[in-house]
Amino acid sequence: MSSSKRITKEYGELENDPIPGVTIKPIDQDMYNWDIEMSGPAGTPYANGTFKVRLTLPTEYPFKPPTIAFKTKIYHPNVSNDDKGNMCLGMLRTDDWKPSCKLRTVLTLAMKLLNEPDTNDAVETSIVEQMKSNHDAYVQRAKEWTKTYAV
Amino acid sequence: MTSATSPNPAPVFDIRALTYVTHVDDNLCCPICQSPLVEPFTTSCRHTFCSECITNALKASKTCPVDRTPLDTKNINMAPVVLANLVNDLTVLCPNHRDGLGCTATLPRGNVEGHLKEDCLYVTVACPGCEEKIMRKDLQDDVCVHVEEECSYCSGMHRKLDMKEHETVCPGLTTPCKFCGNECPRPQIPNHEAICDEAIVSCDAASVGCPWHGLRKESTDHSTSCPLMHIRPLLEENNSRLANLEHENKLLRRRLELSLVARAQTDIAESMDDQTIRVLTEQEHIRSDLERLYVSMQEMDIKQNMLSMHMSDNMRTKEEVAMIGAAVNNLRTQLHGLQLLMFRRQGLDQNGSGGARPTGASSQAGDNSVLGHARRMSDMPSGDRVKL
Ligand SMILES: [Zn+2]
Ligand SMILES: [Zn+2]
Ligand SMILES: [Zn+2]
Ligand SMILES: [Zn+2]
Ligand SMILES: [Zn+2]
Ligand SMILES: [Zn+2]
Ligand SMILES: [Zn+2]
Repeated sequence: MSSSKRITKEYGELENDPIPGVTIKPIDQDMYNWDIEMSGPAGTPYANGTFKVRLTLPTEYPFKPPTIAFKTKIYHPNVSNDDKGNMCLGMLRTDDWKPSCKLRTVLTLAMKLLNEPDTNDAVETSIVEQMKSNHDAYVQRAKEWTKTYAV
Repeated sequence: MTSATSPNPAPVFDIRALTYVTHVDDNLCCPICQSPLVEPFTTSCRHTFCSECITNALKASKTCPVDRTPLDTKNINMAPVVLANLVNDLTVLCPNHRDGLGCTATLPRGNVEGHLKEDCLYVTVACPGCEEKIMRKDLQDDVCVHVEEECSYCSGMHRKLDMKEHETVCPGLTTPCKFCGNECPRPQIPNHEAICDEAIVSCDAASVGCPWHGLRKESTDHSTSCPLMHIRPLLEENNSRLANLEHENKLLRRRLELSLVARAQTDIAESMDDQTIRVLTEQEHIRSDLERLYVSMQEMDIKQNMLSMHMSDNMRTKEEVAMIGAAVNNLRTQLHGLQLLMFRRQGLDQNGSGGARPTGASSQAGDNSVLGHARRMSDMPSGDRVKL
């Protein structure tokens, strides 16, 4: 089975019925790299921010998991604070990935993490600590980053 | 699969590229390729996939693609026949449908292979005469369609394959003109219709509002009497000037809007400074430009109204002239009668060649009586219109 057919199908479904807050740029040549924009949810420190995200699909997709990387810097415990900006989602780990899982589920979960960071599965442990010890400072910092990088 | 003896090798088609006529329930779709199941196989954990998909999945990971239960090829078995039948009965378009241009067949998915092999007209097959590949629809009995033969209408040489298409443009085949009914070679129909006397045409001045429609042979008569034809150049010039003004107006309005935006932005950034004043002055200029344009557009409107009024006046005058002409002719015959009567009464002898001079002399007196008559006629109801 060729992975491109499934990818085309999934893209078509997301185009016809988009996830709120998630905009997928049209794919012209390379259907294995999707450029996505996620809107920071209202009521979070990421509100009013637009975050550029790159969804990369391996050629073995759906047998290997996709990866999600934030191109826009974000102060978030589940996104690595380096030049990669990888978002760690449990379901995207090679050992936990299920080929039956759809990209819609993946992107919906990523959106949910913006709304509500998962402190139990964080890459940036220092941010988790700050959230626990001084939540206001975390909010302040996340807002500053949003304003600086994502507006 | 392909053998020299079989003229029609087994058709190749991508079963996952088929178009399903109706929405297919998610339960009938494979969780891996997300298309309707092809040769469904079920795992020991009771999940179902296409045989090809689950084979590939196990090469990547020895777990179920849905619930990650450890799996091996021995844990996989053919799904119940009822499920296989269900997916094979789903209705699809023939793979040669080409967005409605090719084959129009809709059929159960399980019949696609047979259809392509035996029936589909849009499959390439070997020409029985020369082995060249042609569409099944172009086959003609057992003869080669690539041999040229003579067209029975025009004697031109065409391949059997192209003959049907040739007949739609064959110069030897005639067809009746839809206007005059004359038989005409098909390729010449457009040229003929462009000059056919019986074709329905509109007036050349239709663009400036002449509603006339009629036979082409009557259109010359119409254009000589069409008042709009005469003033068409004028009207067209007016229209283009109006269009120019509207365009200019639009440009100016955009400039005005831009400067308003610029002013608003400047207001935020700085208070009244040189730039603001400049923008304001410019805006004033534009505003007066706009007013000027508006006035001249209104003038154009008035002119155009006057023109059309003149036009109807013209037409009315024409009618009046015709009426007066008729009245004059009428009077002339009356006068003639009166003259005869007068001469007879005066007892003058009007025999022979001398008649011309006295008639000329009396015609002056006659003119007066015509005027008198005309004045009396103007008292009649139609006289009101003459005065206009
Ligand atoms: Zn399973
Ligand atoms: Zn499948
Ligand atoms: Zn067909
Ligand atoms: Zn042939
Ligand atoms: Zn011919
Ligand atoms: Zn004709
Ligand atoms: Zn006319």
